Amino acid sequence: MTEPTDFELLELAAPYALHAVSDEERADIDRRLAAAPSAVAAAFGNEVRAVRETMAVVASATTAEPSVQLRAAILAAVKPATRRQSSWRTKAFASAAAVTIGLAGFGLGVMARPHATPTVAEQVMSAPDMKSVSRPLGSGQATVMFSRDRNAGVLVMNNVPPPSPGTVYQMWLIGANGPRSAGTMGPAAVQPTTMATLNNLDTCRMLAFTVEPGTGSAQPTTPILAELPLK
Amino acid sequence: MTGPPQLSNDLDALLRRVARGDNDAFAAFYDHTKSRVYGLVIRVLRDSGYSEETTQEVYLEVWRTASDYDSAKGSALAWLLTMAHRRAIDRVRSEQAGSRRESRYGAANVDMASDVVSDSAIAGDERRRVAECLKGLTDAQRQCIELAYYGGMTYAEVSQRLAANLSTIKSRMRDALRGLRNCLDVP
Repeated sequence: MTEPTDFELLELAAPYALHAVSDEERADIDRRLAAAPSAVAAAFGNEVRAVRETMAVVASATTAEPSVQLRAAILAAVKPATRRQSSWRTKAFASAAAVTIGLAGFGLGVMARPHATPTVAEQVMSAPDMKSVSRPLGSGQATVMFSRDRNAGVLVMNNVPPPSPGTVYQMWLIGANGPRSAGTMGPAAVQPTTMATLNNLDTCRMLAFTVEPGTGSAQPTTPILAELPLK
Repeated sequence: MTGPPQLSNDLDALLRRVARGDNDAFAAFYDHTKSRVYGLVIRVLRDSGYSEETTQEVYLEVWRTASDYDSAKGSALAWLLTMAHRRAIDRVRSEQAGSRRESRYGAANVDMASDVVSDSAIAGDERRRVAECLKGLTDAQRQCIELAYYGGMTYAEVSQRLAANLSTIKSRMRDALRGLRNCLDVP
């Protein structure tokens, strides 16, 4: 293979700026730019910048409105733990506390009250590899934000109806060895907004919910209500 | 020029405050930009659930990295939408496999100008101007931008799809972008 010329490198500025190169090619281009004469690297940078500014203007032709729930979820995610608690948040903490009581030994931690060291939730939110996945649960929604680097996740349930009396929602982390319980929530624990943290995701690829009788089961005994892929 | 100059200045100022952990500035930044971000993401992903997840990731990245933004290197809107587009493309590429991927490319191959969604927050003038400029491209140029930018294909995949050689595709992309840039008066 011949050594690529500067001209060939500059030709790649447009596809590079449009994210129309594979990850391998992007890395290769970055290496070539680092080794290229500074004038070539500057010309490449100018071209990329012009494409990005142009496409930012073009974005005014493809606007669409997200749901109001998304705004609430995003703003709630960055709210400082030290800020005065609004009423729903107090409720969420109250329900989280209820979760703790029901969960001793289950490995499900809970959003901690404000303190100096970052909570698991804060660590997850600030993790560069944080990902988010949402699925309907009953008439509400369950969202998990998780980080493989932190080996943890934050579960937020919005407007999920409480389970019937005498039953609980049970969460299962599913990996190669099948499901393991990630805790339960009884009717009193489920509030309009309920948060909990999930520790030790390890190699689990899925968070699933079932309704279980009494205080929970060792293995799922009813059909899965919702599955959130953790990939 | 990205949008009205006033918006551009406002966004710069808001991002500086976001970098200092200002929640109100973050909310205002979200309100000013959400319809562009979500609109671009859903244009790529074509699924409201995936698009909301990706939009959430984008804004949490804004919260985390606002201090990295350097107005000398480009506008706040370009910084934000580059981030949004990158995440949407990554999501498309990781979600799609085999035949589903192929059908998504089919879905992406629609006329951009006819896919305009109204939004009172964005001047109708600018939308019309963009639609006019898109119409000014050749069909072949527009197709390249659609398949790559909205369809998530690499230029090599676009070349296979259109049975055109790689340098032809690269030229079409470059010419399309230069045409848009001149037509839209982007410096």
